[in-house]
Amino acid sequence: MVKAADAPQNLAIRAGRIWTVTDGVITDGVIIIKNGKIQAVRKNPDVPAGMKLLDFSDKDVMPGLIDAHCHLGLSLDIYSEIDETVLAVTPDMQILDAFNPLADDVKKALRSGVTTVLLAPGNKNPIAGQTAVVKLSGKKTKDWILKRSAGVKFSLRDDALMSDRRPTSRAGLLALIREELNNAKTHEQDKPDLRIEVLKSVVDANFPVYICAYTIDEIVSALTLVDEYDLNAVLIGAQQGDEIANMIAGQNIPVIYSPLLLFSRDKDLKRVVKMADGGIKIAFSSTAPRTALSDLRTSAITAVRYGLDTEAALKSLTINAAEILGVSKRVGSIQKGKDADLVILNGDPLQPTSSVEMVIINGTIVYQRQKI
Amino acid sequence: MENPVVMGHKNIILISSLLLLFTFTSAFGSQDIAIRAGHILTISDNPIENGIVLIKDGKIEALGRNVVLPADVRLIDANDKFVMPGLIDSQSRLFVMDSELNESRTIAPELNILDAIDPFIKEYREVLAQGVTAVCVAPGSRGLIGGRSAVLKLNGSKNVDRMVLKADATLKAAVGISTSNASSSLARLEHYSSIREALIATKVYMQRKEKADRELAEYNRKKAEYEKKDSGKETEKKEKPKRPARFRSSPASDVLAQVLRKEIPLQIEAHRVVDILNALRLADEFGFSLILDKCTEGYLIADEIARRKVPVIIGPVSTSFVDMPRLEYRNHNMSNAAILSKRGVKAALGVSGRDGASSKFITLAAAMAAANGMDKSAALRAITLTPAEMLGVADRIGSLQVGKDADLVILNGHPLDIRTRVEMVMIEGKVVFERKSQQ
Repeated sequence: MVKAADAPQNLAIRAGRIWTVTDGVITDGVIIIKNGKIQAVRKNPDVPAGMKLLDFSDKDVMPGLIDAHCHLGLSLDIYSEIDETVLAVTPDMQILDAFNPLADDVKKALRSGVTTVLLAPGNKNPIAGQTAVVKLSGKKTKDWILKRSAGVKFSLRDDALMSDRRPTSRAGLLALIREELNNAKTHEQDKPDLRIEVLKSVVDANFPVYICAYTIDEIVSALTLVDEYDLNAVLIGAQQGDEIANMIAGQNIPVIYSPLLLFSRDKDLKRVVKMADGGIKIAFSSTAPRTALSDLRTSAITAVRYGLDTEAALKSLTINAAEILGVSKRVGSIQKGKDADLVILNGDPLQPTSSVEMVIINGTIVYQRQKI
Repeated sequence: MENPVVMGHKNIILISSLLLLFTFTSAFGSQDIAIRAGHILTISDNPIENGIVLIKDGKIEALGRNVVLPADVRLIDANDKFVMPGLIDSQSRLFVMDSELNESRTIAPELNILDAIDPFIKEYREVLAQGVTAVCVAPGSRGLIGGRSAVLKLNGSKNVDRMVLKADATLKAAVGISTSNASSSLARLEHYSSIREALIATKVYMQRKEKADRELAEYNRKKAEYEKKDSGKETEKKEKPKRPARFRSSPASDVLAQVLRKEIPLQIEAHRVVDILNALRLADEFGFSLILDKCTEGYLIADEIARRKVPVIIGPVSTSFVDMPRLEYRNHNMSNAAILSKRGVKAALGVSGRDGASSKFITLAAAMAAANGMDKSAALRAITLTPAEMLGVADRIGSLQVGKDADLVILNGHPLDIRTRVEMVMIEGKVVFERKSQQ
C-alpha cells in the first residue's frame, strides 16, 4: 500500500471532463470531497471558498478502476503463494491472509489507475479459498478492506487436476465438488467444521461462488453446477463464453472476463464483444501478476479496438465490476455518497494515448506521476 | 507550411508520355493509381492536407497538393481519410515458429533467419490488416550471437526470396538475458566475455585471411612470371613457385568480419543498465555499428547512449506485450521511449510480442509511448521511417516520398486513435488488404 500522505481532507476537484459512468460525462464540472466521500458532483466549476482545490480543467476524471480478479500482493518475488497444493478442497482458506499490501505489483497496479481489486486464490484447487475485495491503499482496516470474504473460488480448469491427489480427471473434479456440496447440505452440526460451514453458506445462504472456467465444456459444467445447487455464481475467465453466450445470459450469470492479451488472434479478441452484445454483464480482470497484463485499462482499450461499445467498456472497468463484487454502494462510479476513489488522466480513458496522472483513494492522493 | 508539388522525372502531362504510359500499363497490366487524401502523413516532411499521392509502377511518382493527374488513372477517394506509409515492426516474430528462433549453440553468426521463415503462416493477414507492411525478424535472445535478421515485406508471396526486402539487416546478439527468473549476474559475465572473445578471434581471423590473400596474390604473380619465362629461354628458368597452403575460411567468422567492417550492424539485445553499458563498451572497443535492442533500462543512462549516437529499438513499450514478467523487465518504464527520444537518441519502437500476431499492435505500442510522454509525431516516425533508417531500407520504405515504394495505409482517422480502422493497405501499389464494410 502506498503510504497515505495525509489524512483524508476536504477537497475540490475541477475537471475538464468527469466520466461519472452512471450519469454520463460532465464537462467543466467539479467534484466536492468531504471526509473521503463524494459530497457533490456538479456541472458548475465554481468551488466553495476555503476548500483545497485540485485544478484539472484540461484533464479527465473517472472512478478508480476495479480489477475483478487478480493475485496482486500474493507473491514472494516471483514465487507464487496462491495455491494450496496439498489439499484439493480448502474453502476455509482466506486469501487475504496472504496479502502483502506493500508489494511491488500492488504499487504498479495503483499507478495504472486500479483502486479496488478482487483478490483470489489460483486455479489449482477445485474448491479453493475465499476471495476478498480490497482497495490498494488505506490507513484504517475499514477503509481498505471492503470484504474480507467475498465468496468461494471454484476451479474447473485443468490446473486443478493433479497426478498425486484427487481429482485426476475432469469428471472426477466435478464429482468431488458435488460430493463436497452434498455433504455440506446434509451435514448435521455435531461439531464445528469451518470447511463445511463455508460450503453450507454456499448451498444454503447464497454465499457467492466464483467459478473459474475457460473453455466451452468447462463453462457448461459450471452452468450445470449453478443450476443444480442454485448457486449465486460469477464466472471467471469464460474465454470461449461467446459460443454459448445465450446460455450464460439465460442463467443471468455475470462474467469476470480473462485479460485480453496482445498476442491473441482477432477471433479471440472479438469474443468479449460478442458476450457483451449478447447481454452478459462483463467485468475485466488482469490475473496479475500471473500475466504481464498488469494494466487493466489495456484490456478494455483492446476490446474497444475490436468493437466493444465505449460505454460498455467503461462500465466493465468500474460499475459492472463493483456490482458483480457486491461493493457498488461504495465504489464504481462518481456519485454523491460514494467513496472518493478517482483517477485523473490526460485524455479519454479509453484511448491508449491517455495516461494516468493521479490516483485518489478515499479522498487521499495515493499516486502522482512525476514529470519526465 | 504549404507543400510544393513534388514531381518525378517524367513530365507526365506530355501527350507523348501519356501514350507511352498507356502502352506500358496495358503491356504490364499495372495502372497508375492516385489517392486523393484529406491528410497525408508523409513522416519525412510535414503532413499534407487535401493532397494527392500518385503511384506508378509500384513507386510513389508524385505527391503534394497540386499533382496533375494523368489520364486513365485509377482514382481512390480518401478525402476524409489519412494516408501514411506502411508500418514497420522492427521486433517481430512473424513467419517464424517460436521453437525456430533460437539455436542451442551460443555463438552462431552464420545462421540466417531466412532459413526458418514460413511464408504460409496465416497470422500475417491479421498483421497486414492493421497496416503493417514490413517486419524485421531476428533470431531469439537465447543465443549470445543468434544469427542474422532480415526485413520482410508482407506482400503475400509464398516465396521467401520475394518477401525479402533486405537480408542480413543486422546480426542479432544478446547479453544478460536470464534463462529463468533467477539472478543472471554470473551468466552476464560469461555473455560479455564470450562475445568479446569471438570478436577478438575474428580480428585474428581477418589478419590471417588478409595475409593469406596477400600470399596468394604474390603466388599468382610469381606463377604468371614463371609461366611467362617458361615460354622463353630455357637457361633463365627458375624454380617453380610453391602454392601457399589453402586458407580455410569460416562462414561464422566471415559474418563477424562483416560486422567489424561495419557492413552489418550488430543488434545487441540488452535490458538492464549493466548489460547496456557492456554492449556500449563492446562497440567502443571494436568500433562496429551498434543497434541497441529492447534497452529496457535505457532511460536510466539516456545520456550515455545519446553521447555515442547509438540507435535503439525500444520494446516492449508495455509489459502487456510479453508473456510473463521476467527479471529483465523489473525496472520497465513506460516512459523509456519518451525519455530516450527527448535526450536525442534515435529510437524506433517495436512490439517485441510473444507471438508473430503481436505485430498487429504496433500502433498501440506507439500510442502507449505517446501516452507516456513521447511526441505523437516522434511515435509515428518510430514505427515507420526510424526503423527503416536503422535497418538500411529507408531508400525503399518508411515514408511517403517520391521514388520510394508505394507501401501505404489508408485509415479512417488518426492512426493513434483506438477507434480508427485501417481501410486499405497497399504494397508496391498493389492493394493487399481492403476492409469489408461490416468489419
